[in-house]
Amino acid sequence: MEFEVIAKCKTTKARVSRMKLAHGVTMLPTFMPVATQAAIKGLTSQQMESLGVTLILNNTYHLNLRPGLDVLKTAGGAHRFQGWNRNLLTDSGGFQLVSLSKFTTITEEGALFASPFTGEPTMLTPEESISIQHTIGADIIMQLDDVVSSLTTGPRVEEAMERSVRWLDRCIAQHNKSGKKDSQNLFAIVQGGLNPHLRDRCLDMMVARKDGVAGYAIGGLSGGEEKGDIKQCADKLPDERPRYSMGIGFAEDLLVCVALGVDMADCVFPTRTARFGVALTHSGPLNLRLSKHTKDFGPIDDSCPCPTCKDKVSRAILHHTITHETAAAHAITMHNVVFQAQVMGRAREAIIAGTFPDYLQTFFAQYFGKAGYPEWCVNALRSVGVDLLEGNPNQKVIPGTGAKWEYSDNPAL
Amino acid sequence: MAMTASTSSVSFSLSNWGPVSTTRSKIFGPRLGSLILHRHPQESDLDLSLPSTSREIRLETPTFLTSTSRGVVPHLSRDNVKRCESIRWVNVPFESFMESNPPVPTIHPGPDPLHKFLGFNQSQQIISMSARNPCDGRQLPPNGKDTVSVWTLQGVRKLTPSDWQKYATKCQPDVVFALSDTPFTDPPYSQKRMTKSIERSAQWLARLLSSPTIPLPSVILHLAGLSSSPARRAFSNSLLEPLYGPELEAVAHMGIKNLDEGVVGYSVDLVPIRMTIEAEGRKIASTNNTATPSALTPMFNQTRHLAVPLHTAQIIPLVHSSLSSLPPFKLRLINGIESPHEVLRYISKVGIDVFDAGWAQKCASIGVALDFEFPVITRKDVGEVGRLQIGCNLYDEAYQMDFRALSSSFLCQCPTCVPVSTPEGEEIKHGVDSEEYTRTTAIPTHPSTAVLSEVKGYTRAYIHHLLHTHEMSAHTLLTMHNLETLDRFFRGIRGLLTQLENSQKNEVASSLWDDEVSRFTLTYDELASFEVLETARGMWKDVDIKRGKGRLSKEKNEGEND
Repeated sequence: MEFEVIAKCKTTKARVSRMKLAHGVTMLPTFMPVATQAAIKGLTSQQMESLGVTLILNNTYHLNLRPGLDVLKTAGGAHRFQGWNRNLLTDSGGFQLVSLSKFTTITEEGALFASPFTGEPTMLTPEESISIQHTIGADIIMQLDDVVSSLTTGPRVEEAMERSVRWLDRCIAQHNKSGKKDSQNLFAIVQGGLNPHLRDRCLDMMVARKDGVAGYAIGGLSGGEEKGDIKQCADKLPDERPRYSMGIGFAEDLLVCVALGVDMADCVFPTRTARFGVALTHSGPLNLRLSKHTKDFGPIDDSCPCPTCKDKVSRAILHHTITHETAAAHAITMHNVVFQAQVMGRAREAIIAGTFPDYLQTFFAQYFGKAGYPEWCVNALRSVGVDLLEGNPNQKVIPGTGAKWEYSDNPAL
Repeated sequence: MAMTASTSSVSFSLSNWGPVSTTRSKIFGPRLGSLILHRHPQESDLDLSLPSTSREIRLETPTFLTSTSRGVVPHLSRDNVKRCESIRWVNVPFESFMESNPPVPTIHPGPDPLHKFLGFNQSQQIISMSARNPCDGRQLPPNGKDTVSVWTLQGVRKLTPSDWQKYATKCQPDVVFALSDTPFTDPPYSQKRMTKSIERSAQWLARLLSSPTIPLPSVILHLAGLSSSPARRAFSNSLLEPLYGPELEAVAHMGIKNLDEGVVGYSVDLVPIRMTIEAEGRKIASTNNTATPSALTPMFNQTRHLAVPLHTAQIIPLVHSSLSSLPPFKLRLINGIESPHEVLRYISKVGIDVFDAGWAQKCASIGVALDFEFPVITRKDVGEVGRLQIGCNLYDEAYQMDFRALSSSFLCQCPTCVPVSTPEGEEIKHGVDSEEYTRTTAIPTHPSTAVLSEVKGYTRAYIHHLLHTHEMSAHTLLTMHNLETLDRFFRGIRGLLTQLENSQKNEVASSLWDDEVSRFTLTYDELASFEVLETARGMWKDVDIKRGKGRLSKEKNEGEND
């Protein structure tokens, strides 16, 4: 991997970087659409490519079950299997083990679980996870970590954190001896769901292993924490490594994370919500199932460059077809993928132009209108020197997290 | 044969009259033709500057039309429709739009409302509009004296002939199917009902044509009479009766002397005919034990898959009785085809020009990749290896490791088998992602360890995977492939007919055609093909139940929490 920071925001921690992987360059910050089972639901790889997406995510747990490693090996890796010539990232499969299987027990050796095929006890070790990901062949691969629910307290949390560091060492060793280091890049996962003290220790230990990893993911945030955690991580992680915040997908979350110094994020939210008829726009989400769209011949968003809006597909025909015809889901999925990419692309432009704080202001004003800003967004952005209420003192502030977090690897998919 | 003055008009001409000299096969034998759609630019037309060729669509026949559901080609977003050169004629069943009143397409602003609303390209696709999905055989309440029952998600609606005329003139499709009084109550039907059916169908056609002020799209007429030969003959004859008095006045603006002169072609919907024949068979069998079901349905009584057998042998003479008295040079269209074998039969024995592609699209929806060719060239070897099926059920575990292309007999050029990447630099740009920043001009290509580098497109193994993981993309890829396979099939048919037309000896030509048809029938086993489809449908259902429904409701619950 070649990674180079090319611009930094003078106010916030936001930055623009160039990440060159085996399948081309991806400009950061970026959002990664999720192709859980080797396909963005409903779309072809050519369609994804045409949308200007250069990095997508596959889920190791799912691909390991189907099509299985033999098929992927024979196909020549997941890129070839799904006809995707750009960059690809896989997770470690550990999260789904914990979330999809009730019988998973974590031992020092690895995660012990009941095989979904035979029901027999099966062990996923850190070495095994890495070698599975080597077979899949993604440009970025993830360490296996010991995931605990963010609601867990007590000694188990510390144990998990320390085990994750030991497993990182085993992952690094496995990766180093594989001969895949020039085409695949290992990321460490910093546990986000920790108390500040433990997180600090975790960060210290992981940063110390910097030479063995190409980047850092920040995980374990699916339980609904505030993003103070992300700030702490981003502040401490080395400048010269990309930072990936797992499972972030709402536009406001993305922009706050970017402001805190995050470079990459993924989530199933934009593609999944599309299938339920929700189109994302810069003026907020639009539920096309509502009958007010029955006779609306305008496109989702006049200024959107996606194939759906450029072809002037009307809200009326989308209303007529959504949830009945898969083609409507495809059309809105393409739009939402482009919307996410636009939010991030405009962030990159603003950072380079030195206007990122202004972009935050205008985005939030347009996106939330009079509905009010999530309180945590206001607070998080204040911590990096941007006051959303500055030019907008009458704006309501909605207490709590405002929006929910969704982990990318939702088992429902 | 110019039609009414409208924004577009369709003309059809035959290039040959069947390669055989006897009169009967001249009328009902294989034939080549061209369907030409002229678009007449209007004052308001922004495309006035276009060269005249872009205002003309030419379809060589025999060919097919693509079916739509709720106004869209199933599984294809518009960008993918554009990728499919095989989609040149789409038929839009209108009934789903009757869920709102007035129907939404009728209030679409601007010219060419239906093309614009549904996103079809005026220089690429012909749009026809039918009241109902012609392949939907579900029971419906009876039609009335002046109403047809149509099916919508919100229940049954009544469509009147005058509303149908209004919708056709407002939507401006290129072709409209006249409203037909086809009963979808419990068959069989009494003679009285059939009499009413043919009378109403003729009246409703007269009503449709009586539009003096607003231009009407070209009209295709469904040949009424179902399974009754006398009724079919009577209906055709009624079309040819000279009009007089007020009836003549009503159509005076068209300059026609009888109803037949007002239509550009005829259509036959196979589904209601099959259901009627089947019901009559049951009735006879129950009153007379000597008539076994197999005697009534000689060809397909053993196939489980067909809810209603094909009854081709019985239907062909019925279609003959409709067409015998009608001018032979008009377009002939059939809806409700189930296999390529059936296409060949209706070309050989009836001289049909246009077929619906619904069956090929259905195959894509249940995981079947079509794989056949006509004339049979590359698979002449099959005699030794056993007969082939017309497609692969990609759910089958046999395809798990099959990294071959979908087509075994030729290099398919569809967007699934030969995916076309967006030209470098033409992807959507989002900001700071141009070459200036990425500093790359080309995406590196990767030497792979795989042995399959010669396959450019999506493989059977990948689609097998998508099917078993309930991924929608499977059906997208299969739809694009199946439509192209069908297009190639019809190209093959036309190619052979052209070749035979050019040969001087009609007798030889006729037997060459028959030889190729029987070679096809011998190479591809029709019954076994239906079995493949049946198995696929079962597996599709299993995966849908296992991964679809439960998953969807789960997703829905979560969606509500969003």
